[in-house]
Amino acid sequence: MNIATMENATMSNLLGLNELLAIMPQLIIAFGIALSLLLIAWQRSQQMIALFTKTILVFALLLSVNLLAVETTAVTILLKVDSYSIFTFILICLSALVVTQLSSQFLKSHIEVHDEYYVLLLLVVLGAGVLVASDHYASLFLGFELLSISFVGLVGYIRESKYAVETGFKYLILSATASSIMLLGIALIYSQTGQLSFAPVTEISHLQMSSFYAVGMLLFLVGIAFKLSLVPFHFWTPDVYQGAPTPITLLMATVSKVAMFVVLMKCLFSQSYFVSENLVQLITLLAVFSMLIGNTLALKQDNIKRLLAYSSIAHMGYLLIVLLVSSQQNMAFAWQSAQFYLAAYILASLSIFTVISICEHQNKGASETDVQLSIDSFKGLFWRNRALALLTIIAVLSFAGIPLTMGFIGKFYLLSHATTGQLWWLVAALIVGSGIALSYYLRIVFVLFDRNENELSVYSYTSTEYVLINVFILSGIILGVFPDLIGQFIA
Amino acid sequence: MMLTIIIFGLLLCGGFAWFMEGIKQNSARWIALGSFITFMVFFAFSIMNSPQSFNELQLFVRIPWISTFNIEYALALDHLSITLIILTFFLAIICVLVSWQEIQDKCGFFYFNLLASIAGIIGVFCAVDLFLFFFFWEVMLLPMTAIIAIWGHENRHFAAIKFFIFTQVSSLLMLVAIIATAYFYAQQTGALSFYYQDWLQLDIPLHLANYLMLGFFIAFAVKLPSVPVHSWLPDAHTQAPTAGSVLLAGVLLKTGAYGLIRFVIFLFPQASQDFAPIAGTLAVVSILYGAKMAFAQTDFKRLVAYSSISHMGFVMLALFAFNPIAYQGAIVTMVAHGLSSAALFSLAGMVYNRIHSRDLNDMGGFWQSAPRMGGFALAFAGAAFGLPGLANFVGEFMSLVGAYPHYPMLVILAAFGLIGSAIYGMVLFQTSFQGAPTKEIADLSMRELMISGSLLLLLLIIGLYPNLLLQYSMGAPSL
Repeated sequence: MNIATMENATMSNLLGLNELLAIMPQLIIAFGIALSLLLIAWQRSQQMIALFTKTILVFALLLSVNLLAVETTAVTILLKVDSYSIFTFILICLSALVVTQLSSQFLKSHIEVHDEYYVLLLLVVLGAGVLVASDHYASLFLGFELLSISFVGLVGYIRESKYAVETGFKYLILSATASSIMLLGIALIYSQTGQLSFAPVTEISHLQMSSFYAVGMLLFLVGIAFKLSLVPFHFWTPDVYQGAPTPITLLMATVSKVAMFVVLMKCLFSQSYFVSENLVQLITLLAVFSMLIGNTLALKQDNIKRLLAYSSIAHMGYLLIVLLVSSQQNMAFAWQSAQFYLAAYILASLSIFTVISICEHQNKGASETDVQLSIDSFKGLFWRNRALALLTIIAVLSFAGIPLTMGFIGKFYLLSHATTGQLWWLVAALIVGSGIALSYYLRIVFVLFDRNENELSVYSYTSTEYVLINVFILSGIILGVFPDLIGQFIA
Repeated sequence: MMLTIIIFGLLLCGGFAWFMEGIKQNSARWIALGSFITFMVFFAFSIMNSPQSFNELQLFVRIPWISTFNIEYALALDHLSITLIILTFFLAIICVLVSWQEIQDKCGFFYFNLLASIAGIIGVFCAVDLFLFFFFWEVMLLPMTAIIAIWGHENRHFAAIKFFIFTQVSSLLMLVAIIATAYFYAQQTGALSFYYQDWLQLDIPLHLANYLMLGFFIAFAVKLPSVPVHSWLPDAHTQAPTAGSVLLAGVLLKTGAYGLIRFVIFLFPQASQDFAPIAGTLAVVSILYGAKMAFAQTDFKRLVAYSSISHMGFVMLALFAFNPIAYQGAIVTMVAHGLSSAALFSLAGMVYNRIHSRDLNDMGGFWQSAPRMGGFALAFAGAAFGLPGLANFVGEFMSLVGAYPHYPMLVILAAFGLIGSAIYGMVLFQTSFQGAPTKEIADLSMRELMISGSLLLLLLIIGLYPNLLLQYSMGAPSL
């Protein structure tokens, strides 16, 4: 498609009110970014900018919830807003809200005013919002870069930290590499299809013949796999997870992963890729390796954030199962499974990182900038602070996929999907992987119950954190026992 | 309704006990004891006053739960589950009594876990929606693991993790089988269903049924446990506190046997018939191996743990003989083993409380100072090796008689297990209670007398009048 027709299409579509409404949440975020820049110019205040960021996110969140019932709308040829993208954007806004809350606690302990931090945070959300709605390689790349570049600023944000430079550089170089590889892939795809839209007009079977197209898809997949930290593109994950400030680690574990996964799924599903034998095998391999290697490497970790990094590798491996659909009919169920699993994964991540963030705060001395929590720092938490320990248990069991938690229902979705698709290798890898995972998840749980000398030291937290903890505990159990509460939104 | 009240009532009482312990010390155990007795009486009365006949599954409640997958909350009872639930209640009371003095630390949370795991176990015995069954199956594990991991002995974390991983991995296999069967049902009828009675109507082609049956079988064989997936059991039983061992041996192993009956044999009759020679062989290997290993142990609890493997082998052998006599023998063995192993583990706990060791080398000559305890020990060891007059004899005898026409060779081999059990039973008794007195120990207290007395009484009653159980066919296959 040449540029002139593209412009035509853009012009005729942009005017519609429905289209505008459909991308309203993203627009609000963009608007919020501009406004917060003005706010910074007017007055630099930590409280104000934090509150402003939260307000923007809440607005975007409420609008997205309202949009859930809206039918699929194509906004220009770049974006396509459907219920999947709206649901995941809700998840993104929710996690960003929690991240903002944790960040404002976290940044309080530093002397400077951190306005830029919040702007970068909103930019990440905007990037993710573009990603989940994109229907075109150009918008995909736009969102991808917006997300990565803002993250580079965020991961090394606390510059007194001894990990700041290492983390920032690692992330910068690897995400630049990933995006250039992906760009090359997109170029190769374009050379064969002649267009950048996800759904090619060209006959699929014709494309199968072309090795350029296959290489293009491969490189594209590699770029995304870097971001999803799938084995063997996972090496940066533990270092960056450990080095980044805890709220940013949470942002990376939730927003970035969810957005990347959803856009990958959108892209693959709209081209009926499952006709291509090679691609299916490639995804199977990535999934199996991520599950097994991610879980195995997590076994010997002591640092809790590194451990969660490896476990997130495994979780992305599990999630890849839904990409393997055998036919058009399975796609709806695959989307349903993916959404539920992502929701469960996000809730568990938010819960465990809230705990980590609070514990770091407690263990922090006056002058220290780096607090590294090992599993042993949770020792005896259950006898000291029951709510915090309970939240940890629910989060960890949800990761492990034990009943009573959302994670179990998520795993049930995945197993149903794999069983109906007869993906026995993946089922086997999932079972073995979960078995390995149990031994480090249970280690965390058992440490909570260990006897500890200073059982009397009390954990204090603010009333917002108190509310947050209780909401997570309740929603973790209620949604785990009555998954229909979420199921009705994603069906 | 009644079952729902019991399950959730137990959970609530658990929470209440935990809460009250914080207010008044030592109140949790009274609450636990009180709630078990109340619910047991309530259960017994409801069953006796019920006009239904429990020869077949009687549905109590069936309401939609997760509509996305057509999953229902469905509970039902028949004689088999009633028998096992009553056994569960009885052993739960024993558990409270044996923990009375033993658990001093974090009592409130302990009794919460105890009540929660009993609630889960009762759920397992009456769930007839397979998803719900799986749900309870996993939920009962969590408090059980906590009991081992928090109040267990020196190596408790390792034992708890091993226990949990074994059961979890095997039950994931079962979950896959459950999902596959549900989707097969959807293929046949057009709608998903996890309801047990619906599945009974299914006609599953044999090549598929073989795999599905295997998924269920592995999960239950781990729980039973059968060689070669038994290795979690000695560790878990040894490391658990006394109440944990009693619960594990008395009830948790029975959920495996229950699952074999309800879900393997009845859902996949033809596939299990084909699989029977393998299952029978595994059972005989378990019987002999368990007896041999029990003989070699110097740890009191480990010895009893291995003897459990041996005894549960009889259950599996009998179940896969597809013969009414063997089937009933299996059920009597289940109940008898529940009582006798609970008795031996309680005894181990009593000894441990006195000498703080489980090592048989530290024991000897206790008869001198504690003759009453010695008497009970002899009786329980007798029960374990199948002394006529006690319940185990009836069960094992019927199992062997029933299975003989089908597998004469296997039954002859299995009978050697009886000799083996006599050997390790006597070793156990002799090294601990006979010989030169090493230590002076206090004799049984009133509470301990009550525990041992009631267990022995029940073993005697069933041993002398097995019709108590045999009058019900329990859905025995009419072959």
